Amino acid sequence: MIRRLLIANRGEIALRIARTCRELGVEVVAVHSTADRDAAVLAFADASVCIGPPAPKDSYLNIPNIVEAARQGGADAIHPGYGFLSEDPDFAEICVANGLVFVGPDPEVMARLGNKAVVRGLMSQAGLPLLPGTEVPVETVEDGERIAAEIGYPVIIKAAAGGGGRGMAVVPTKGDFRAAYHATRAAAHAVFRDSTVYLERFLVGARHVEIQVLCDQHGNGVHLGERDCSVQRRRQKLVEECPSTRLDASMRAEMGAAAVRGALSLGYTGAGTMEFLVDNEGRFYFMELNARIQVEHPVTEMVTGVDLVAEQLRVAGGERLSLTQSEVTLCGAAIECRINAEDPTSSFAPTPGVLERLDLPAGPWTRVDAGYRAGSRVSPYYDSLLAKVVVWGPDRPAVLARMDRALAEIRVNGKGISTSAEFHRAVLSHPVFVAGEHTIHFVDEMLTEEKGVAAS
Amino acid sequence: MSRPDGDDHAAILHALTQEVTAVAKLPGSLRRVAMHANEHSVEVEWAADDPPRTTTASPGQQPEEEERDDVVVVRAPLVGTFYTASQPGAAPFVSVGDTVVKGQTLAIVEAMKLMNPLLAECSGTVDEVLVGNGEPVEFDQPLIVMAPEDAPPEGDPPGAFR
Repeated sequence: MIRRLLIANRGEIALRIARTCRELGVEVVAVHSTADRDAAVLAFADASVCIGPPAPKDSYLNIPNIVEAARQGGADAIHPGYGFLSEDPDFAEICVANGLVFVGPDPEVMARLGNKAVVRGLMSQAGLPLLPGTEVPVETVEDGERIAAEIGYPVIIKAAAGGGGRGMAVVPTKGDFRAAYHATRAAAHAVFRDSTVYLERFLVGARHVEIQVLCDQHGNGVHLGERDCSVQRRRQKLVEECPSTRLDASMRAEMGAAAVRGALSLGYTGAGTMEFLVDNEGRFYFMELNARIQVEHPVTEMVTGVDLVAEQLRVAGGERLSLTQSEVTLCGAAIECRINAEDPTSSFAPTPGVLERLDLPAGPWTRVDAGYRAGSRVSPYYDSLLAKVVVWGPDRPAVLARMDRALAEIRVNGKGISTSAEFHRAVLSHPVFVAGEHTIHFVDEMLTEEKGVAAS
Repeated sequence: MSRPDGDDHAAILHALTQEVTAVAKLPGSLRRVAMHANEHSVEVEWAADDPPRTTTASPGQQPEEEERDDVVVVRAPLVGTFYTASQPGAAPFVSVGDTVVKGQTLAIVEAMKLMNPLLAECSGTVDEVLVGNGEPVEFDQPLIVMAPEDAPPEGDPPGAFR
């Protein structure tokens, strides 16, 4: 049983965790940087400790100060939230060594998850489908051509050291391979100082669909349906929904079972997310496992009625999951929009500043998770997430109408501050999205389309 | 003192010795100084002439946050436990009214079993000690108020080592 929990995070997720603690009678120790002295979570805390200056490396990533704060505050457990230290095996290990329960998987399991190639191998052993590709670097253009022919075109050449969408080239046909191979290697060398590349089948028209899983320390695991996160810009999710318009009941059950099997085979415990790509013929491929509570978890909470943070705390405290798979039912539909303090007309650049006015939506089946209040300062040191607006409805059309109503209620004023709210409304009313026919390229296509319209 | 078996160790030891020498030259009520860095420790002890006078803030009291031009507020550089003396029963490093020189140890903040000396950033007089011995402190918490020396800032005063 966890009695007093230190929340090693900030913003909306710190507040969201604190709220569940209040409901469960768990006491809260909040931590904050000097930039977050007015954080909303502090009003929910039984104790609070300033852990450092604004820069995350000196505060929310400062392990000694956080562990000391836990000791001072009398906490018996630490919840890392998402980002920051949430997937740092060293932090988890230090917590355990200091007699603190880490709300997350075992440090050893976390360390294994850090190596994508190892995870790929383990998931393959557990029978999860993987995208055809190489697990070792491609050394020569002749090797590459041979492997690409085996995988089948189109393929994508990726820099092994790459990330953030850079160092990749899609090769539509055999004739394009040679030039793309040399170009990607050269680009990889220029950008990452490492010309190593590998190959993967490129999925046309793919959707990003992830499965929420919960596993306890007694070998039990359940899945809580999917979240479709295909609306992304530069791998940043903007909108998440459940159910996915691309899944039917049998596919959901199949993916869910695979996700639970994969997680249990790793010895995973707590809340986790298995990310998959789903192609336009309904085949799914394992991508990666996120070992944390995710930003978009409220979507799942809305359709299942399960408090995922409460389950995390149960599991971390050694208890069994509160429900079995047959007790998990998905009811209706839910969607989340991440309202960021950024300017969609200026390449989505963050717009820090003071929120002189902040009117957030409310009303029927409308949940708003925000870490800011009117008067708060949006700091340039942290992510630009202002609020998550989540709505529930009996079906997708009702949910889209409800979200549009909710987003229209947002009023934000502050010198230099913009929000992505109107951009979200444009996404949600776009015919391709409304029809549920969008892919992971939807936002890019939509922005190109807008530019075309503006230019003509 | 233990294991001076390398350049690093010798350097640490040298720095500690310098620091202790500087402290030892000062007037005041110090009776015992113990400094540790990794495996090394240097301990100096001499007779106390004054009873320690420590001002302690009452628990929960809001520390004064106003910035004043005429004082220097020494703040906690990390989260930990504040110690005014090197060990229980020992005389405090400094007491209200003491004159200190730049670089002198004012107190210790212990975190994760490591003793972090809090050094004076300037020479001056100790005006107030805001936190009691053994109390938890958070980052940036005001700990000690000092009245800086009137002397111009350029040039290190004798005994300073930073």
